[in-house]
Amino acid sequence: MQTIFVTGMGIVSALGAGIEANRLALREQRSGLGTAQFIQSRLTPLLPVGEVPFSNESLSRLAGVTAGTQNRLVLLGLLAMREALGDGFAATQVSTGFINATSVGGMADVENIYTELINPDKPIANSAIGDSLDCAQGTEILARHFGIQQQIATVSTACSSSANAIGYGMRLLQAGVVDRVICGGSDTLTRFTLNGFNSLRNTDTALCLPFDENRNGLNLGEGAAYLVLETAKSLAATKRLPLGILSGYANYNEAFHPTAPSPDGKGAYEAMQGALRKAALSPEEISYVNAHGTATLNNDIAEAKAMLRLFPNGLPPFSSTKSYTGHTLAAAGAIEAVFSLLSILHSELYPTLRFNTPMIEAPIKAFLDVQEGVKVNHVLSSSFGFGGNNASLILSRYA
Amino acid sequence: MRERMYIQAARALSAQNGFMDDALPSLLTEPVDNLFYFPTIDYSRWFSIMQLRRMSRLTRAGMAVAIETLRDAALDKPDAIITGTGKGSLGDTEKFMESVRVHVEGTLNPSPFIQSTYNALNGLIGLHQDVDSYNTTYVHRGFSLEHAIQDAQLLFHEGAAANALVGSVEEMTAEHFGIKKKLGYWKTAPVRREDILTDQQPGAVAGEGCFFFAFAKQPNDKTLATLRDLQLLFEPTSATLLQTIDDMLSAAHLAPADIDVVITGRNGDWRHDHYYDAVSALFPRATECCFKQLSGEFDTAAGFGLWLAAKMLSAPQEIPAAVARQGGAVSRPVKNLLMYNSYYGVQHSLYLLEGR
Repeated sequence: MQTIFVTGMGIVSALGAGIEANRLALREQRSGLGTAQFIQSRLTPLLPVGEVPFSNESLSRLAGVTAGTQNRLVLLGLLAMREALGDGFAATQVSTGFINATSVGGMADVENIYTELINPDKPIANSAIGDSLDCAQGTEILARHFGIQQQIATVSTACSSSANAIGYGMRLLQAGVVDRVICGGSDTLTRFTLNGFNSLRNTDTALCLPFDENRNGLNLGEGAAYLVLETAKSLAATKRLPLGILSGYANYNEAFHPTAPSPDGKGAYEAMQGALRKAALSPEEISYVNAHGTATLNNDIAEAKAMLRLFPNGLPPFSSTKSYTGHTLAAAGAIEAVFSLLSILHSELYPTLRFNTPMIEAPIKAFLDVQEGVKVNHVLSSSFGFGGNNASLILSRYA
Repeated sequence: MRERMYIQAARALSAQNGFMDDALPSLLTEPVDNLFYFPTIDYSRWFSIMQLRRMSRLTRAGMAVAIETLRDAALDKPDAIITGTGKGSLGDTEKFMESVRVHVEGTLNPSPFIQSTYNALNGLIGLHQDVDSYNTTYVHRGFSLEHAIQDAQLLFHEGAAANALVGSVEEMTAEHFGIKKKLGYWKTAPVRREDILTDQQPGAVAGEGCFFFAFAKQPNDKTLATLRDLQLLFEPTSATLLQTIDDMLSAAHLAPADIDVVITGRNGDWRHDHYYDAVSALFPRATECCFKQLSGEFDTAAGFGLWLAAKMLSAPQEIPAAVARQGGAVSRPVKNLLMYNSYYGVQHSLYLLEGR
């Protein structure tokens, strides 16, 4: 099987814009969760969220586009992609694809203008925003912006979307369909999603507590992250330097329930096990697990049971970085892949914030402080979603 | 990647077929105010009243078509379930948006939120068939179904699956029709079915439908047709489009004269006809067939074309008059078939198929 190199990464999250801002917050154990400043919702005083700390105007300025021309989804995507691609990127250098992921597409902007949109007498001033009640619009704006023309796709499998986008990209490279692919996801906070999760009663009114006995639900977040994946053939042409290796991926649907995981964690187990199999690694070789860890009652117990089963000889260090960013839904897999690569590159592990009391049913203990000087060879990063859609990735050290 | 895949079963629910007949009817449905709706069918054959109460329109339709496709293929537990949809369950999305507005973010029923999730149907098919497997959803307008098929092709290539249930679902609502009307997607004055392809107004006539296919890595006596190649092009020039067709034919060791039927996604929108004209002109010997005068235009309308292709290739005696571009039924053997579709000139797809 061909080696798949990661040669670029970019991120925007509640922790800020860019790799450095995100790493600094993780190192300082600074959460990006709090009361939303920008999204207009009656729920914001009640539900803490991981909002990207910039208005659309500021994001437009940072992205170098005229304010009001692009929606929030695209603005987040532009910033994260630009960072991942770096200077001197040319889509035509090698055959290059773009696999994006989102759960609600342009909903954040659409829901603010929806009554005008459905009023037959009101013309639509900006079709880039007016036509974005779907997932493809944003992907194509990003593709055109960076000149990408081959293998353009958008994946939507709820919370595992960008993990599946990264996996699809990996598979396209291994089959030789393209030589390089940019993969990741972008999702924004919306009233639609906030109310959706709130109606399912799995949002916490306090800061989320992953893997804690006293956890009470998730905090939603927003953000975007992208990885550049290349084959060896592509590297020879682009001369880009590998940051790490994408060594494993698995997608597994457990067919248990429309929204809840099976209590024994079968889906989580099979996804993680499948990724290990694809990477030809044994569980003992995993240095760290970046868990899905949403802090919902159901997920964390199922995931903990799955980890206990997967690692019978003792768990490797694990954490849920959703305690910093909130659950960024379709962007989560890519955001957490970036954090996993940071752990590999800097030999440091970021703890689960606010962890205090292990769960009685599955007492696994999260580490409390930043771990430095840890040689991180292989990271298992998981995303488990609605509809039983589970996916796991394995990111590995390069040289 | 040009690896053969085999279509073992194909089912369609569109304005023209309630799919119980599994063929084009003799009496064709007309669009209503430039919109082709798929009919309401009796879903009690598949689901209990209790189940139906929790299922929205597109969930019911998509599930039923998926179940019938698996039944046709005698495939109870597929190795993978992969769908494509442009908009997912639009009715649920709108319903939940409305309830957020009307109840001013108060206490809401989560059902429409759950079913609006683009991958909800996939999960439900898995649950219904009790299939724990590879399962994913592509949501990219005129590439949605195509990436779903390409993903299945990758799984076969990797040896990760021997068969896959692949499909697309789409619904159009009055509300969304209105938004797209303002964006210039549709013809404004009402058009009769027989005039759609020649109408001079910009825009198309809207449609919707659910299409499922059972694909297999190996053929058997159930095989309806062979998919030899599938290529996707994003905003190509005409030259790139024609070059891609040339490459596909070369790779398949075919000459343009070997193609018996060209199915084109013409939708009566003259703004994009030049692509179709250029492709059609490559194949003077082939019979050109069109289908959007029957299905209407939507993100995953190619599903109707692929269903039609599978039908033509498995019973290749006659091309129905309703789809022959020049009018009148055509009697000729159909062995090699090329389908070319584009969604408003942005996403273009090319399918090369062969009779079994």
